[in-house]
Amino acid sequence: MDNEIQAVAPQEGAKAEHKKKMIVVPGDLVTEERKKLGQHVFIEDGKVYSDALGITYPDSEIAYVVPLAGVYIPQRDDLIVGIIERETVKGYMVNINSIYPSYLSADKCRDVLQKASVVSAKVDAVNEINEAELFDVRVFYGGEILSVNPSKVPRIIGKNGSMLLVLKEGTGCNLLVGRNGWVWIKGGDVKKLADAIKLIESEAHLDNLTVKVEAFLKGKKVN
Amino acid sequence: MENIIWDLRTDNVVSLIKDGKRADGRKLDEYRKIEVVKGISENADGSAMVKLGSTGVVAGVKLVPGQPYPDNPDEGTISVSLELLPLADPTYEVGPPRDDAIEIARVVDRGIRESKAIDFKGLCIREGELAWIAFVDFYVTNNDGNAFDAGSIACLAALNETRFPKLDGDAIVKHEYSGKLKLSKQPLLSTFSKIGGKIVVDPCLAEEKAQEARFSCAVADDKALCAFQKGEGGSFKASEIDECIELAFKHAKEIRKLV
Amino acid sequence: MAKKQEKIEYVKNGKRLDGRKVDELRPVKMEVGVLSNADGSAYLEWGQNKVLVGVHGPKEALPKHKQNPYKGLVRYTYRMATFSVPDRKNPRPGRRESEISKVSGEALEKAIFLEKFPNTAIDIYVEIFDSNAGTRVAALTAASLALADAGIPMRDLVCAVGVGKAGGEIILDLNKDEEDAPDAVDIPIAIMPRTEEIVLLQMDGLLTKPEWNKAVKLGIEGCKRIYEMQKQALRKKYAEAEQEM
Repeated sequence: MDNEIQAVAPQEGAKAEHKKKMIVVPGDLVTEERKKLGQHVFIEDGKVYSDALGITYPDSEIAYVVPLAGVYIPQRDDLIVGIIERETVKGYMVNINSIYPSYLSADKCRDVLQKASVVSAKVDAVNEINEAELFDVRVFYGGEILSVNPSKVPRIIGKNGSMLLVLKEGTGCNLLVGRNGWVWIKGGDVKKLADAIKLIESEAHLDNLTVKVEAFLKGKKVN
Repeated sequence: MENIIWDLRTDNVVSLIKDGKRADGRKLDEYRKIEVVKGISENADGSAMVKLGSTGVVAGVKLVPGQPYPDNPDEGTISVSLELLPLADPTYEVGPPRDDAIEIARVVDRGIRESKAIDFKGLCIREGELAWIAFVDFYVTNNDGNAFDAGSIACLAALNETRFPKLDGDAIVKHEYSGKLKLSKQPLLSTFSKIGGKIVVDPCLAEEKAQEARFSCAVADDKALCAFQKGEGGSFKASEIDECIELAFKHAKEIRKLV
Repeated sequence: MAKKQEKIEYVKNGKRLDGRKVDELRPVKMEVGVLSNADGSAYLEWGQNKVLVGVHGPKEALPKHKQNPYKGLVRYTYRMATFSVPDRKNPRPGRRESEISKVSGEALEKAIFLEKFPNTAIDIYVEIFDSNAGTRVAALTAASLALADAGIPMRDLVCAVGVGKAGGEIILDLNKDEEDAPDAVDIPIAIMPRTEEIVLLQMDGLLTKPEWNKAVKLGIEGCKRIYEMQKQALRKKYAEAEQEM
């Protein structure tokens, strides 16, 4: 999924140029050309259609749609932020902001966890009904959770974590962005961070976003 | 599942209020923004839509001719009910009103009824045989806390718009009206939460979930109190109730300008 | 009081009782994303009708024995407020509401990629606050918007309209007065616009086959006009989300 975003993410320092984009609704035609298929599209009679309200980039090599909204579906190796819902006999059920809670085996974590503990974890395996198992768990103490649109997470992290660095330095916040749309935040200027993330969410498809966010956090206005 | 996230937010809400602050920046005795739109349903005899912050309520009045109660043969009456719509909150389900919906409806009802804002004798059509029943039904369309006050405002606004259907004998003549319902008072509820030992007015949803105790107070005008309701498991000191009553009078005065 | 005996001309010189032409829709207003607690929502005004829709899901379908291991369930609940009709309606849902809920939910099943969400349910709640004929098609149209707002993957939007007959003429989007005509025929119809597949179709009244052919053509054309409005409302929502900052 990240590959598709990077296919059109502008190179840092490149001249500003607006990549052609199109707003599509469910059932709208995305392309009639033979392209590799990405997220939120389907084929019918040899043509590619969108299944969501979102943005598509007609010039991209891959036919895909970035949706405006949607529920998080776990994929293997995703790094997520979760909240312990309850203990089971041999482990825990973890709320990861998806359709189902995920399962965490007790032998996969060193810390003692209890209901409402906040953790970061990686998704190990996902079955055919989108239920996930987690591993590599770390506990967080304190802080709060901000909820963002999961499909915008790659932009909030940025290429090689570039946007994440800008956010950390510009707000002084300690933060971890879960692929599931939950962001754990501790310390720093939380309100400024929330505003910066809103900016990223609304302009995720535009160029030079990292520069814009940096300027916003410094208090300057950029158009 | 929802509860887990709330445990986290509750801690934040409580610690903020202990510092005298609220998550949305309001003062402890400040209401959220109130929007009132009247006459949103033409089929209703009176209707209004209210937004209290993000909490949304739609209220409608239907005047129906019916048999008066045997012990009050020369009076009509009102009947207030509430439905917490499933689209208002992921935890609301389809089905008959739950206890909390019934409590809210009854408190709003008492506020209107006990204030004597509506002259029940004025609702009489033919003594012992026919009288108007004013059905006031309100629906919460989005729950961000304090359905009590949002409901009270919506019902009052709807009643202020209400007209009597024209009668031909005992039957209603459709699309024709004969006069407006007159209210002699403008009763309004004010609801307070006790959180972290402090009192805040107009709790939003996160604050409602964090509250130890709740107190609603209906005022009929600048002097008269007409209903109280204390809810949730905590407690209030008498001095705290006094504080709430003073604020209720103050807030009702402002809100009356909108309905 | 004696009933009015004068014959009402439902269509005279190409104009209907409310001044519309035979193929003219009542004014329609659509707004997407109006409820903060719903995953998706829409508010729609169609003539006098006022409809609010909220969507929750996909979420785990409980109780467990109701789950379908191959696809998600659509649970559509259509309800009318007590004051939404001329004679106050009993708050308890009636058989009409149950029937409408059932056929409306079924109308959406083909459009949603339910196979992507086994064992889940998608809850669609419709509340009617004011009515004047055509509430079920208004509700279904709004539900489609709310589903798109929630990001639930769909093959196509679903658009709906009422078509029928009054005063001997085939007309689009009957209002209540027209529904009360002695020869009235009311046909709610919903389609997936790209393929023109019909996903909801009901009728009551007397109709000949040629009349039906005329009506279905008019109905599909009316649905497509509604579809254009749906697209506009959704695009507007996207543009607003962009301007949030």
